[in-house]
Amino acid sequence: MISFDHVTKRYGERLALDDVSWRMDEGECVVALGHSAAGKTTLLRLITHEAQPTSGTVTVGTFKSGRLSRGHRALLRRTLGVIYEDFRLLGDRSVFENVALAVRIAGRFSDAEVIPNVLRALEEVGLHGKQTALPSELSFGEKQRCAIARAIVNRPAVILADEPTGALEPRSAHEVLELLKRIHREGAALLLGTTRPDVAEALGGRRITLEEGRLTDSAPPSPSPSPYAPPVALPPAWAPPAAPPGGA
Amino acid sequence: MQLYFFREAWRSFRAHRGLASTAIFSMTAALALAGVFLLLSFNARQALRDIGDRREMVLYLKDEVSDADVQTLTEKIRQLYGTPTFVSRAAAWEEFSQQVGDPDLLKSVDTNPLPASLHVKLKPELLNFAAMESTAKQVVQFPEVEDVRYGAAYVQRLDALNAGAQRAAVAAGILVALALVFVLYNTLRLTVLARRPQVETMTKLGASDRFIATPFMIEAVLETLLSAILALGLVYALQQAVVTRLTGVLFLPWEWALAFVGAALLLAWVASAFALGRILRSFGA
Repeated sequence: MISFDHVTKRYGERLALDDVSWRMDEGECVVALGHSAAGKTTLLRLITHEAQPTSGTVTVGTFKSGRLSRGHRALLRRTLGVIYEDFRLLGDRSVFENVALAVRIAGRFSDAEVIPNVLRALEEVGLHGKQTALPSELSFGEKQRCAIARAIVNRPAVILADEPTGALEPRSAHEVLELLKRIHREGAALLLGTTRPDVAEALGGRRITLEEGRLTDSAPPSPSPSPYAPPVALPPAWAPPAAPPGGA
Repeated sequence: MQLYFFREAWRSFRAHRGLASTAIFSMTAALALAGVFLLLSFNARQALRDIGDRREMVLYLKDEVSDADVQTLTEKIRQLYGTPTFVSRAAAWEEFSQQVGDPDLLKSVDTNPLPASLHVKLKPELLNFAAMESTAKQVVQFPEVEDVRYGAAYVQRLDALNAGAQRAAVAAGILVALALVFVLYNTLRLTVLARRPQVETMTKLGASDRFIATPFMIEAVLETLLSAILALGLVYALQQAVVTRLTGVLFLPWEWALAFVGAALLLAWVASAFALGRILRSFGA
């Protein structure tokens, strides 16, 4: 599903990733652990094609790094669900509209398609009652749950999370991790980057360790990668729970 | 077009009212200037057409030409060149006498020296210097015709004036189009930069350039529509002010006004598509 083949990435003189090779299968849960500037974010940016490798090949599904057009890059990103440490919510629109944006970007515009999907995602992350709130009215934990709802609303095959608990206090961090574990159990592959071993411990799954751009510890994917990860097909990868009642 | 894009355009318009107002003000100024040139061009065209319509060719006939020959020639001229009016020698003298006015002066002339003539109102396609020159060369070959006059120098000047007015209109149009593109490009750049975090988030979520650009393009087109209407209002006010001092100055016919607005909208759409393509590419990944 995702593979890195001898990937090196430099930003000018700075070496961000050094000859990294690894792979991740469908439905797998992988935690990329490493200190700050170890290369975790670069790893995720290479997967989303926000950055291109200096050498080597990154493959995501049928997309290969190299000269992907802007249209193909957009298409690739629509097959992924990405969660950022700083949430990246749009401040001028409500929780509902933030999540709906991902549905509309996926090409669905009619209320009949948008409303039930968004409400279902908000229900899953426990924000059903906050759909009209603006991001500025939410706590950090709620903002991150809103970002998770946006990442899962289109049922992507892979969820990428870049330090999703970095800005959260312990209780919210725990809730977010439990949420991510549940989403993974339902079938989504999950790749999480973190500096915190306790987060990696709490999440479980396969661990890869990055140090100054080098992969120092990477177990090969097991045939059954995680007790929580049944093999799944590509999108729509995992079955949503029952839709919540009511409309927007 | 999905309603979503219009809602987004309205959201952006409201969020950046200052920027939108500046853009509307600048575009109204540029379009009003274009409208004034268009008004001048239209009225110059009308005036030149009125003058041009009065252009005629005079065929002076030989004294010995019989009435039957005149009849035959008149028919020939009608078929080939336009509408002829016969002016007999007596009628020419009568007209001349009225123009001179002094009977004593006329008494000194023993006989009527004026020839009979055919005054030809030429077909519209012959109302230019080249065609009139060629027509004159042809009709002077007829045996009944002594001489041909059509005011060659005057016609040539009129044609040059007409061509000059058209060139000025085209040049003004190009200048205004460039000004419009410049205003739109910079307004869109500022609007997109003001919304850069949102645009970057959308890009990260997999939004296509079209998805991101469409609301901005709709906003640009709506601002241009408003500017074009305001500009036409200003031009109308100017025409109304001028017509009190200078009668005969007309406002643009509705087809011209509609074409003016349509051209502005088309230009806005193309310019904003071009501008947004460049701006979004400059954002990189």
